[in-house]
Amino acid sequence: MGKFLKKLNMKYKEEIIRAMDWLGSKPDTIFTGQAIGVSGHAISGTVTNINKEKRLELPVFEEVQLGMAIGMALEGFVPITCYPRFDFFILSLNQLVNHLDKIREMSNNLMKPKVIIRVSIGSLLPFSAGPQHTQNHSEAIKLMLTDVDVIVLNEASDVFPAFQKAYERNDGKSTLVIEYNDYYTLK
Amino acid sequence: MNKLNSLRKVREVEITPDQLIAFESKVKETYEAGEIKGVIHLAGNNENILIQLFSYIDKEDWVFSAWRNHYHAILHGIPEDILFQSIKDGKSMGTNSINPLFYSSSIVGGIIPIALGVAKALKLKNSTKKVWCFIGDMTMETGVFWEAYKYAKNFDLNLQFVIEDNNISVHTPTELAWGKKMEIPSDVIYYNYEMKYPHHGTGKWVNF
Repeated sequence: MGKFLKKLNMKYKEEIIRAMDWLGSKPDTIFTGQAIGVSGHAISGTVTNINKEKRLELPVFEEVQLGMAIGMALEGFVPITCYPRFDFFILSLNQLVNHLDKIREMSNNLMKPKVIIRVSIGSLLPFSAGPQHTQNHSEAIKLMLTDVDVIVLNEASDVFPAFQKAYERNDGKSTLVIEYNDYYTLK
Repeated sequence: MNKLNSLRKVREVEITPDQLIAFESKVKETYEAGEIKGVIHLAGNNENILIQLFSYIDKEDWVFSAWRNHYHAILHGIPEDILFQSIKDGKSMGTNSINPLFYSSSIVGGIIPIALGVAKALKLKNSTKKVWCFIGDMTMETGVFWEAYKYAKNFDLNLQFVIEDNNISVHTPTELAWGKKMEIPSDVIYYNYEMKYPHHGTGKWVNF
């Protein structure tokens, strides 16, 4: 853990990078999504320290992306699957609501895939990215889910404990971690 | 079924067609007696082809199925008594097991991305286990199938799709709704059959 120790006054984005570095050090994690193996958006810049072999660049197929993460988790991986905007993430709701959220109930708690989902709310500053790139459905998603844990990262101090909990939890739940792209520069 | 010629038989299936038919008949009678508190989707008319197919499926492989999953579950090794109790408990549409590895879902196409992820993980782990994904002809027409099929093919994943064509989705004929069907890729296993039972239930109204 020493390598990943918190330094004084770490900012929001620095904490995310620290958390990703820590997750990247685990043998069973794998990072998936668009612009995860290459550059492309804000989340890309938080995973560049991670060994490239652990970063799986995927096509644009949001639902398949989340289903793949579930499948990989069923085979023992802990996928950290990343969506750069909430607007894009909602295309994967079938896998989130009908499968990841219900799989423990459907399998009498025998199947417990541990998936960590990173979703970023598009930035409004210095200018808005527009109505299809800045939506925040955090509260709606919480109402739709019965099993997947939803954590919203409001402060820099929230970041590392959220990802640590998501990885270390042994209650059979997956975790949806929602971050604000604006806070990368504001906090 | 030409694709089968390129595959290797891995076991003899000891389950007979009559055994499968008898199981579904028992479920039918139990349902009509009002003792199953949930929706059922009965299989029929595809016993022989499935028995042949499962001789290519290793007991260690993953099998993915959908709402009409009883035959697949039995043939992959889920004991009949356990399956029957699960059906009685209202879980016919979502039969799941970790030994043998079996996942089914009652959402059209929902299993496909998960099967793809399992296949990807197996490849990363250098496992020789195979993933078998049974879907209907309407599901094969969906975008999610073609995305996953393309990915699995391009990355040489051990994911075998099997299309079970009854030309109907609930009551909608696939061919009518789509105008025509897509051509079946040569590396996908395909067979067609006529439904023995209605989409769900048994054709009799049951009051619980």
